[in-house]
Amino acid sequence: MAVKVVTDSTSDMPSDLAAELGVAVVPATVIFGEESFKDGVDISHEEFYRRLAAGKTTPTTTQPSVGDFLEVYKPLIEEGHDVVSVHVSGKLSGTVNSARLAAADLSGATVEIVDTELASAGTTLAAKVAAEAARDGADAASAAEAARSAAAHTEVKFTLDTLEYLRRGGRIGGAQALLGSILSMKPVLKLEGGEVHPHEKVRSRGKAVARMREIASAGAPYEEIAMMHSSSEDEASAMAAHLAQLTDKPVLAVRIGASIGAHTGPGALGFALRRKAG
Amino acid sequence: MSNPPLATLDASAFRDLVLAGAGCLEANADAINALNVFPVPDGDTGLNMTLTLRAALDATPPDAASVGEASAALARGALLGARGNSGVIFSQFLKGLAAALADNDVADGPAVAAALDAAADAGYEAVGNPVEGTMLSVMRAAGGAALASGMDAGAAETLRDALAAAERALARTPEQLPVLKEAGVVDAGGQGVVAFLAGMAARAAGEDAGYRAALPDGAASSAASANVSREFLEHTEEEMYGYCTQFVVQGEGLDPAALRERVMAVAASTVVIGDDRVVRVHAHAEDPGPLLSIGAAAGALSRVDIVNMDAQHQDFMTRHGYEAAPARAKRDRAAFAVVPVAPSEGLARIFRSLGAAAVVSGGQTMNPNAAAIIAAVEEANADLVVALPNNKNVILAAEQAAALAESSIAVAPSATIPQGVAAMLAVNPDLDAEANVAAMTAAMSGVRSGEVTTAVRSAVVDGVAVAEGQAIAMLDGALAAAAATPNDALAAMLDAAGAGDGALVTLYYGAGLAEPDARQAADALAERFPGAEIEIYDGGQPHYHYLVSIE
Repeated sequence: MAVKVVTDSTSDMPSDLAAELGVAVVPATVIFGEESFKDGVDISHEEFYRRLAAGKTTPTTTQPSVGDFLEVYKPLIEEGHDVVSVHVSGKLSGTVNSARLAAADLSGATVEIVDTELASAGTTLAAKVAAEAARDGADAASAAEAARSAAAHTEVKFTLDTLEYLRRGGRIGGAQALLGSILSMKPVLKLEGGEVHPHEKVRSRGKAVARMREIASAGAPYEEIAMMHSSSEDEASAMAAHLAQLTDKPVLAVRIGASIGAHTGPGALGFALRRKAG
Repeated sequence: MSNPPLATLDASAFRDLVLAGAGCLEANADAINALNVFPVPDGDTGLNMTLTLRAALDATPPDAASVGEASAALARGALLGARGNSGVIFSQFLKGLAAALADNDVADGPAVAAALDAAADAGYEAVGNPVEGTMLSVMRAAGGAALASGMDAGAAETLRDALAAAERALARTPEQLPVLKEAGVVDAGGQGVVAFLAGMAARAAGEDAGYRAALPDGAASSAASANVSREFLEHTEEEMYGYCTQFVVQGEGLDPAALRERVMAVAASTVVIGDDRVVRVHAHAEDPGPLLSIGAAAGALSRVDIVNMDAQHQDFMTRHGYEAAPARAKRDRAAFAVVPVAPSEGLARIFRSLGAAAVVSGGQTMNPNAAAIIAAVEEANADLVVALPNNKNVILAAEQAAALAESSIAVAPSATIPQGVAAMLAVNPDLDAEANVAAMTAAMSGVRSGEVTTAVRSAVVDGVAVAEGQAIAMLDGALAAAAATPNDALAAMLDAAGAGDGALVTLYYGAGLAEPDARQAADALAERFPGAEIEIYDGGQPHYHYLVSIE
């Protein structure tokens, strides 16, 4: 009997990392018009962004159903494991609710649900902490608590090429106020209280990226850093090289998948900075 | 008109003297406007001082019981009505004057001397960093000479001594300020003080004010033909009632001063300027008839223009691109709000889109007064309002508003539109008001400001010869380039600024340029500065083909 960690595809956890840590990923569904795809399962990053750029139809996303979670939880429970399920902010997605309902359906089983109030690289860091705790012998409650604590000590900042995808998907949150601007904006955004908020109003991509580097440096050193992006490899690798100086652990580079990418669009660049708890 | 010199001033004589000073200032306003150090169209010192004094006089009752009461009312009116830096310093001068006269029923020579000296002190205190060679030096000289007139001197004698010293101090200003010497002019604000004192001294001596300011080279032609600047006329269109009446009187041996007095008796917002052959009259009256009769009695009338003010107001707003002000519901009380000053509806719209609670219309050559800023601040309805003057000539008026308003106002001293935009972007709703003011002020230094305009006169500036009609570009207030076209001047200015890799260049186009012109400029700049991002927006500002932000 062991503790197994489950997450969903909005954490953008790289498949090799998930395999290494034994983390199961429940996919969200991305829908282009009549066609629907399981994120990371039957649509690749390349194919998703190709379709997004073609712009014929705006994709929408659907959280995993209770049934999707049960399909993953049940075999784990039957093998005698306890489950820690680490997810995207409940204010951005109903995913964590599906997970809770699925857990409630499994009477007698131990399924700890964690709402990280983060997304993408932020959720990945929290799920990774839970998996490492489990590997080190923690029970489900302790591993879940480690994930919650890690999430609480993690800040997520990002910049987008356009706020249009956030607006269309209804995830714009406190950045709503920026939409009225006549001047073009490349704001630095943050996740706060589980929602998107503006951190700083910046006018150009170059300035936004430069500002993000400064913001990251200002709080260094960090326990661990994960970078997320749907932008050019050049921009991403330059940011990764900068972030590598701010922490002793290797920087996790996370490609933003379809379920987050549908709300950020191409050209997103961000990071999750995890501070040591306590 | 010839009366015996006045030894002692009562309240009525005091007001009469100030009226005469105002008349003399107004008669010289165009000449003072022309004392323009830079060839950019910001020559409005005469206008600002005249409007400030007019607001002061409007607040001064003709039947005040004492000189103290009259001067206090004068000072209060000046504080609220002050426009531009010169107007604000002038209002502080009147405040110092009033403070010294507060307990006086009447004012004799020594009282006038003490008041002029206190006025100079107040003028110096009004500016954080007093510069000699400006109106301050002229005020100081006047106050000192007045004190030296002695205890036996009458009011008329004291004012005469003060004027003589002021004129000498004015003549010295080019030696004190190199920028004046280079432009070949005396200080405009100092010239305004001299004109004001000349009017007062003449009236006290029982004479007509014949004072005429010397004109700089190249400006004589426009002033001699009584060519009232459009700006001047537009500024007088504030009291929007009745009929705006304008006409030109031509004849021999005309007396503009006498005509002005007759016009002022029947109309408001009067501007009467000219010489003995041509006088131009602009006035607002409920009935234009008596105005025309006054003009016709003096000479031949021409270019008569009578406009119903309601219609004119709308036209004025339309010409400047202002949208009709919608009836606004009172805003909910906020903790923090920003109120910028913007010279056009295009720029006002940009500020509103960035979250400005209310926008004060004004800027270069149409400096808003403290009262206008206070009105916008009240509209913003917040615990703390940060005013963004967005023009160096509006900063003091904003500070005056902050000192006078009942609301809590902080001034983030933006000297340009680009600085104002940078400050606006730095607003962070998560921070408290004080931290926001600090962040906004800090953000201003992160942007360089450029301006492209057409030279209004020939001059040598910063060692560069500029011809009237040439396109010129200023960078952070200093001449950066002169060229045949605005787009050429713009490109040369950006060369000087070094718009390198990663720079963001924002062009706000206005003053006769349309989107295709700006698009063409942006395309050419994108080729010239491949590492920079170039953005264009419709600013619609007057006078300036481009306002440029480089960051």
